[in-house]
Amino acid sequence: MSFVGVDGLRAVFAILQAAGMLAAAPLLKAVIKKMKARLQNRQGPPLLQVYYDLAKLLHKEPVRSETASWVYVAGPRVYFAAAIAATTLVPVLMATAPLEAAGGILLLVGTLALGRFALATAALDTGSAFGGMGASRDMTIAALAEPALMLGLFTSALAAGSLNLGGLVRSVLHNGVTFHPSDLLAFAGLFIIVIAETGRIPVDNPATHLELTMIHEAMVLEYAGPDLALVEWASAVKELLYLTLLADLFMPTGIGTSTAPGAIAVAFVAWAGKVFLLAVAVTVAESTNAKLRLFRVPELVSISLGLAFLALAIRFL
Amino acid sequence: MFRLLEIGLPVALVLRLTTVAVTLALARHTSWCRRVTLGGSIVASVVTVGVSIRVLASGIAIDGVLLRHVASAMVFGYVITPLSAWFLLVLGLVAVPVAAYSVGYFAHAIAPSRTAGVGIGLNVLLGAIEVVFSASDVIGFLFAWELMTLATAGLVATDHEARTSRRAAFLYLVMSHVGTGCLVVAFLILAAKSGSVSFSVLLAGPIVARPLRDGLFVLFALGFGVKAGMIPLHVWLPEAHPAAPSSISALMSAVLITTGVYGLVRVCAFGLGIPAVSWGFALMALGTLSAILGVLYALTQNDIKRLLAYSTIENAGIIVLGLGAAMTALGYARRDLATVAVVASLAHVLNHAVFKGLLFLGAGSVVMATGTRELERFGGLMRRMPWTGLFFLVGAMAIAGLPLLNGFVSEWLTFQALLLGFTSTSGLLRLNFPLSGALLALTSALAAACFVKAFGISFLALPRSSAATDAHEAPLVMLVPMASLAVLCVVLGFAPGLVLRMLSGVTTSLPGLTTSTNLVSSGLGLASPLPSFDHLVPPIFGVALVGSLMVSAVVAARTGLTIVRRAPTWGCGGELSAQTEYTATAFSKPLMMIFRAVYRPTQEVEALAEVSPYFPHEVRYRAQIEPTFERYVYGPLLRAVLRAADGMKGLQAGSLHAYLAYVLVLGVLLLLWLGGTS
Repeated sequence: MSFVGVDGLRAVFAILQAAGMLAAAPLLKAVIKKMKARLQNRQGPPLLQVYYDLAKLLHKEPVRSETASWVYVAGPRVYFAAAIAATTLVPVLMATAPLEAAGGILLLVGTLALGRFALATAALDTGSAFGGMGASRDMTIAALAEPALMLGLFTSALAAGSLNLGGLVRSVLHNGVTFHPSDLLAFAGLFIIVIAETGRIPVDNPATHLELTMIHEAMVLEYAGPDLALVEWASAVKELLYLTLLADLFMPTGIGTSTAPGAIAVAFVAWAGKVFLLAVAVTVAESTNAKLRLFRVPELVSISLGLAFLALAIRFL
Repeated sequence: MFRLLEIGLPVALVLRLTTVAVTLALARHTSWCRRVTLGGSIVASVVTVGVSIRVLASGIAIDGVLLRHVASAMVFGYVITPLSAWFLLVLGLVAVPVAAYSVGYFAHAIAPSRTAGVGIGLNVLLGAIEVVFSASDVIGFLFAWELMTLATAGLVATDHEARTSRRAAFLYLVMSHVGTGCLVVAFLILAAKSGSVSFSVLLAGPIVARPLRDGLFVLFALGFGVKAGMIPLHVWLPEAHPAAPSSISALMSAVLITTGVYGLVRVCAFGLGIPAVSWGFALMALGTLSAILGVLYALTQNDIKRLLAYSTIENAGIIVLGLGAAMTALGYARRDLATVAVVASLAHVLNHAVFKGLLFLGAGSVVMATGTRELERFGGLMRRMPWTGLFFLVGAMAIAGLPLLNGFVSEWLTFQALLLGFTSTSGLLRLNFPLSGALLALTSALAAACFVKAFGISFLALPRSSAATDAHEAPLVMLVPMASLAVLCVVLGFAPGLVLRMLSGVTTSLPGLTTSTNLVSSGLGLASPLPSFDHLVPPIFGVALVGSLMVSAVVAARTGLTIVRRAPTWGCGGELSAQTEYTATAFSKPLMMIFRAVYRPTQEVEALAEVSPYFPHEVRYRAQIEPTFERYVYGPLLRAVLRAADGMKGLQAGSLHAYLAYVLVLGVLLLLWLGGTS
């Protein structure tokens, strides 16, 4: 992989990939919304509506609470920055991540945690009970999801012998996708975690603004205008990132191993197809389930933890 | 200059003794006394840092004599090995800012009549810890260990009018002495078997055979575990740390617990011969338990200093977890794994000392400004104490293990060690490694939740009491030390290679680890792609993060002049006030419900209504978590001790005749025994 030999090239690669993910992320949200609407026999908003909404929010006047300090302003910005920075750690079209030399999976999880920390802290700044409620619930669910996420990632990492996402993808490519039972279990476990981390039903409902049930929405309830746009956009990037990660870990087939335009084109189609399939899975899960009570979420997450542990045990014992 | 550093430790100790003497002489002139005692302490700590850096840089131990007692021909020597130097460095790096902070803090928070006492206690404590880290024989070590315990107990009881402080000091003394008792017994056995009291003989390898060696390990683990705050030996810690003045609490949490860790490393891991695999797993289990329970208890605390104290238990757990992994690796003779794990553990000793010192100092400023330790009575301090808030935020992010700060580095290393442990060992037992890893992940995520709460409830939104409304920023002399610790959090997070370069001297000096002197560029852990450790969080990722931050600022900047409109927060139809804010109790409520098997909470809600039960004018809510260890471990133990004491009362009836009879019986028995043996 001499592809990322030069620092300058690497930086260009990182910027291109981050820009691409930023541009594509709202579309994923739109596709899921559209499919969900169709499943409910509705027409649904046009695909570009998400982009229009973002543009509208970005042009609005920022309104901020009188009680808030600079932490409130910093929250969405750090959240957004962490999401962008995280995209540079994940292989998307190439079997190597732009900033591969960094701390790998652990840095990815840590960077996303940084964004979450910033947003949850900022949510406490307005003095509204909603912000606190959202922050408390979001941190709770994140804390519960963390061990299952890590154990799932560890299973893949140990099988590949690398904690580095690029190395991991290359190892799976090299060995071929086998649909080993352990992979299937780990995939199921991580899929649950992705649902929890991206705030989808049955863990959270991204469409609700009902006091008692919102989690992520409660946390960002006070944000308006450009601040809100950043949060929405970053959440979309995060979702795309998680789906890409799932595709990378379990089925990197088609991902580019050279910079030839043909290989990149194939990789793009393969990536888009895989993310679309995962989006279908998310949509179906969201449309066929009811939102769980907050205190039932631990049960769901422990199922995921159990699956991850079984995957590990099957793989290595 | 370098020649002077060769005798740096005695110089530092003499400086501390002189400071104590001058402090005593100046006891009546409070402000002079404060300056002298803290100034002397700073100078001595700087000397200590100098000595330790010299040893770490050269990798050559410095030894010498502290005291020669002519009459008994006893010599108390010291030897600063690279391992000792590492712990001395941690001590110095925290002690300097703590003492500087105290110049401002003591003036406001310590009664004038007690300044001299606290100053002397501080100097004695630091000197005793320095001797603990460097004593070369058992006698000197135990003497310093005891002095350290007594000095700490005195400092905990500074506010001795309060019953809680006295109780905390008493509990600390009891627990410490149980621990010291275990150490004395274990050292006596070793000394009897080896015929020497010098560590160089005593801790040179396996002196006794297996079953007894296991017993020695248990005794040492108990003795050092008490000081390290390991669960279930932790009960004193959440009482004693908050009771002391805040800058002393910082020192206790950052440095005092490391004496226990030092003992575990020096004796249990590298002093009793090659550790058994079971020892390693035992320490891993205890470490994991401490980490997870420590953070769970921290989450429910609403007293900021108690919260920090429980979080110290959590971090001690992470340190011990790394050490346990190292001992397991030593047992399996896996050098590379043992090296990574030891490095992880020792790096976390430093990182924890830095961010916990910072957090305790920040908490001290807040407590000084508001006069309370209750999170529920803070709020809105970010506007009143902007700098303290910023530094506390840095500490909170570091302790939550977020990238670009130092906490992330040692957590990364610990994860590496655990994963490497799984791949490089075999059998069913190796599942322990990823399981500890999963629990460590849970711990760090819970720590993040805990510090979102600690920072958010204290510093953000509206003030929750008049005390918080009237709070003022701490003086410069207290802010600068906090700033320096905050900077250290960032520097150590951004350039982790610094730490590893210093630690490579330590790892080469310890038996059973890789002798490669170039830890930095050897690639640590699981097929690490890092060309060198400096790239753990490579500058380029920092640049990426900062670049993204600028992008976000640009994206959010509206075309044209951006005028931010300020509006009141929607108060759900009512007036927004401190009552409508989310409270600390409410913040941790979901986790309390989810982990109720651990907490076993009892709560009662009482609604006081005059007219109709549907319109209560007052609602009282009381929630309590069960003190599991206090009730189910120490309760029965205490009752058994009291019962035994009660039973023995008859023996000591105060009758002279009875006592003479005992002497007679004992004399006869001794004669019979001696006659039998000869």
